[in-house]
Amino acid sequence: MRVVVDLNRCQAYAQCCYAAPERFVLQGDEILVYDPAPPASDRAAIDRAVQACPVRAIRVEHDALAERAA
Amino acid sequence: MTDASDGTLFAQVRDSANRADPYPLYARLRVRPVARQDDGTFVASGYAAIRALLHDPRVSSEDLPPAEHPPTGNPVKDWIVNPLKDWVTDRHRPFIFRDPPDHGLLRRQVMGQFTIARVQGMKRRTEGLVAQCLERCAGSRHFDLVDDLAYPLPVTVICELLGVPREDEPRFHAWATQLATALEPESRHDEALRARNTETFDAIADYMRDLIREKRRAPRDDMLSGLATAKDPQAGRMSDPDLIATAILLLIAGHETTVNLITNGMLTLLRRPRELARLRADPERAPRVIEELLRYEPPVHFRTRVARAPIPVAGTVIPEGAPLVLLFAAGNRDPARFPDPDRFDPDRADNQHFGFGGALHYCVGAPLARIEAEAALTALAARLSNPRLAEDPPPYRPGASLRGPKRLLLHIDGIG
Ligand code: HEM
Ligand code: SF4
Repeated sequence: MRVVVDLNRCQAYAQCCYAAPERFVLQGDEILVYDPAPPASDRAAIDRAVQACPVRAIRVEHDALAERAA
Repeated sequence: MTDASDGTLFAQVRDSANRADPYPLYARLRVRPVARQDDGTFVASGYAAIRALLHDPRVSSEDLPPAEHPPTGNPVKDWIVNPLKDWVTDRHRPFIFRDPPDHGLLRRQVMGQFTIARVQGMKRRTEGLVAQCLERCAGSRHFDLVDDLAYPLPVTVICELLGVPREDEPRFHAWATQLATALEPESRHDEALRARNTETFDAIADYMRDLIREKRRAPRDDMLSGLATAKDPQAGRMSDPDLIATAILLLIAGHETTVNLITNGMLTLLRRPRELARLRADPERAPRVIEELLRYEPPVHFRTRVARAPIPVAGTVIPEGAPLVLLFAAGNRDPARFPDPDRFDPDRADNQHFGFGGALHYCVGAPLARIEAEAALTALAARLSNPRLAEDPPPYRPGASLRGPKRLLLHIDGIG
């Protein structure tokens, strides 16, 4: 799974950090750091983060082949 | 296009006769995305206009007029929060009614206590509380979602997060119910109600002051201890009046809102059995269902502001000093922003709704509210056997802004 956050869009609302704390962390008050390649087992948590982001800044690309293998 | 009754549309929104279905009125309001009402209020109902105003620094949340009454000498009365405005002082409004820079300083201190660990820690607990509520109703064929589950849940959750001792919690349930009536504009004109609310504020403020003293003496791992003892690098330690105002805000802001999300949610799903079945089959749909509910049937229909300078927007100019209504629930159904807006569709792409507001005042409790709603809706979908609405539409509480059913009676075959 590949995760891309549009950091121009991101307003540091931190909603993703509550939804998937292992994969999204705010540094200081406004810089978002995230895991661009979380394991497939995190799918539900990542989806929660995508849904919770108030500005829809998070995009997920599923790597179908790798996920089928996993 | 003009509408002869343009200037009274918002009065009609507030009329309880339109509570069950205000959406046709919202569609008429949107013909002018920012519309002047006969009483001088400006109502923003178009998505783009609401968004622009939410981000506009000339738009102020300090929309309470200055306190009309001189200090009373009673320290409690003189500084506690009072949405009824009688003796609220400028310094001790809760931060939902404040502008920068104070707003940011207070909000940051609260966010610092809303830690991820604390919020995530409530997930299991919330699921347990929901299960307890359902156990209590096992064996019966009726179920009032409001009384039996949605109403008590958020109060228990916020009391535990704040660190209110469990034996005191029943008092909070009673206070929360009373104070919810203070949030509606209509309550200002009801003298008896105002008096009761004033007493309730006094009681909570007294209670909180003692509890804060206790937390300072013997801090625990809870939000109130954190707020009472932490020092912000810029703002220093939060004052007692601000602490009390904040604690009351957290109690009120998270109560009816969460109740409405759960009850409007179940109502919407029961009207669409296919969606209920899909949630039951796939609980991982819950986050999508909840975001779409926050757009389609939001718990908070509007918030008020005031224009601090003339603001040109959507082909009109809001004059300085004008009261302003941001009609979130209308923006959420704006066809210019959401294709087929009156359709409930959890699979909708790019769902940037106003369910939790936006910009500086974006809901502090959103992560907690999502946890509570998810716990409740997934358990209800999974465990209620053959649920049906006993009345549709259900009776609504009077509020036009915090809009939700007074009760939601369900017939069920049992609880699994
Ligand atoms: C489904 C449940 C909820 C909904 C729909 C909701 C909605 C909202 C909205 C629309 C605002 C923006 C107000 C404005 O712009 O004037 C807001 C602010 C706020 N909410 Fe919530 N809320 C919910 C639950 C909660 C909970 C559980 C808490 C606390 C535990 C909470 C605490 C707050 C606070 C403190 C603010 C003020 C933020 C500020 O002014 O910076 N809310 N909420
Ligand atoms: S929720 Fe969205 S806006 Fe907020 S920090 Fe995450 S990506 Fe940024």
